[in-house]
Amino acid sequence: MNFETTIGEQNISILHVEGKILGNAADAFRKEMNEQLQTGRDRLVVDLMNVPLIDSSALGAIVVTLKSYQRSGGKLVLLNPQKAVREVLEVTQLNTVIEIYDTEEGACAAFV
Amino acid sequence: MAETILVVDDDLDILELLKMYLEPEGYNIRTANDGEGAVQSVCIDPPDLILLDVMMPHKDGFQVIEELKNIEHTKNVPVILLTARGQTEDKVHGLDTGADDYITKPFDLREVTARVEAVLGRTRPIKYINPLMHAMGDRFSEEGVQQLAGHLQAAAAIQKKLLPEQAPNIEGFDITTLLQSSTSVSGDFYDFIPLSETQIGIVLGDVKGNGIPAALLMVMIRTALRLLCHEEDTPALILKRINDLVVRDTEADLFATMIYGILDTETSTFTYSNGGHCYPFHWKNTDGVSVLKTGGMLIGAFEEATFTSEVCSLSPGDILVFYTDGITETAGKNGAVFSGDQIELTNSAHSDTPEDAIPMDTFYGGDRLAACLSENTALSASALCEAVVNDLALFSGSTTPHDDRALIIVKRDT
Repeated sequence: MNFETTIGEQNISILHVEGKILGNAADAFRKEMNEQLQTGRDRLVVDLMNVPLIDSSALGAIVVTLKSYQRSGGKLVLLNPQKAVREVLEVTQLNTVIEIYDTEEGACAAFV
Repeated sequence: MAETILVVDDDLDILELLKMYLEPEGYNIRTANDGEGAVQSVCIDPPDLILLDVMMPHKDGFQVIEELKNIEHTKNVPVILLTARGQTEDKVHGLDTGADDYITKPFDLREVTARVEAVLGRTRPIKYINPLMHAMGDRFSEEGVQQLAGHLQAAAAIQKKLLPEQAPNIEGFDITTLLQSSTSVSGDFYDFIPLSETQIGIVLGDVKGNGIPAALLMVMIRTALRLLCHEEDTPALILKRINDLVVRDTEADLFATMIYGILDTETSTFTYSNGGHCYPFHWKNTDGVSVLKTGGMLIGAFEEATFTSEVCSLSPGDILVFYTDGITETAGKNGAVFSGDQIELTNSAHSDTPEDAIPMDTFYGGDRLAACLSENTALSASALCEAVVNDLALFSGSTTPHDDRALIIVKRDT
């Protein structure tokens, strides 16, 4: 798994993840999401377009981080999860508590 | 749990050969075809052992060892060097750098297994005792470690006892269960709770995470269920209560997925609620397979989680199949098509990135499980369970599960 965070307009961070998020990789994923929050940027888009698969550790990372963002008055949304990831979000019904967008424009508009 | 070996060589044939040979010995094999990929792979998820080629372009085996020795969480991963040269100088240099052993190419495969076993045998105790020592800090003592190891064993034994040894005998129904643990303490669990003369509660769940925290949560949920389940309460209400209890008492990343339902033998119905768990299957002679989705979120992560229940009627011959993701996420034999005892090599295992070299590209999946069910509906519950286990072995090329697996099959007599 690799990732890169870019800062877009209105101070929105976009975290582009590439590769499967499995096992210990979830720690690095979680750390990166939290780092944004700690540096004062509390609007995060997690781009999952190039993530073929996640496991329960990654799911745990998303749940915990989502709650941290909510607690600090910020917001975290997901962008373009692929089939296998979308299925996991549906089965666990995380899609009912976290906003999911298909386009970057849509995701960024969520913060307006 | 199967131990993981990372094999690093720029010669793809050697990678394939070692993988083919070591996998049936019960090891998890990952591969990397250059030094850079090896370092990355080890950093992301340290294996139990590295088989490392010395001569590779860009970054050779010695450089890989040096880098790994400088990183806290990778410095203790044992390394066996594969050296083509057989030169004493190389071997000495390798051992000086911190390699644990070396094998000279061309090698005898039996020698590989023997050396792998010898090194793992030496490092296994270190791996399990060192973390304990670290956790105990100043309080460390030989005696203390023994005591802690004893407690772990006791915890595993308690957990095992909590699981019913065999499925209940219920008139008119044929029920079977399967639980395969990949570690000493399991995250998967099931239980049968007698509610009345004609009603029995059935639960199957999967606590996320590993080790002691997961095991404690599993015990907590299992105990809470036993205390909270009354025949008059709907499964949705029970899941809501469990959710609220777990949310209050644990961190958000400790959660479970589970399905709870009441099998009523008088009305031949199954009333259930699904808390974010893999959708169980309901096979009907007339309609084939449908999935049981009704319920709510995963259990223990959100205060605001809500749940609903659904009733499904069971006709004679109907089958319910509950399972955990350890079954559907069983990895296929990447790069090799496995059919019986014949292994055919393909080129699909060769890839540039180390992560993709991990043989986890294809999963068994719900569709194949549903197909296996549909083809074997005439069988008894236990024979059907066996058919699934056989199909999993055929698909993965291994009989050792890499993750916990649990399965419950309920079949109404015809």
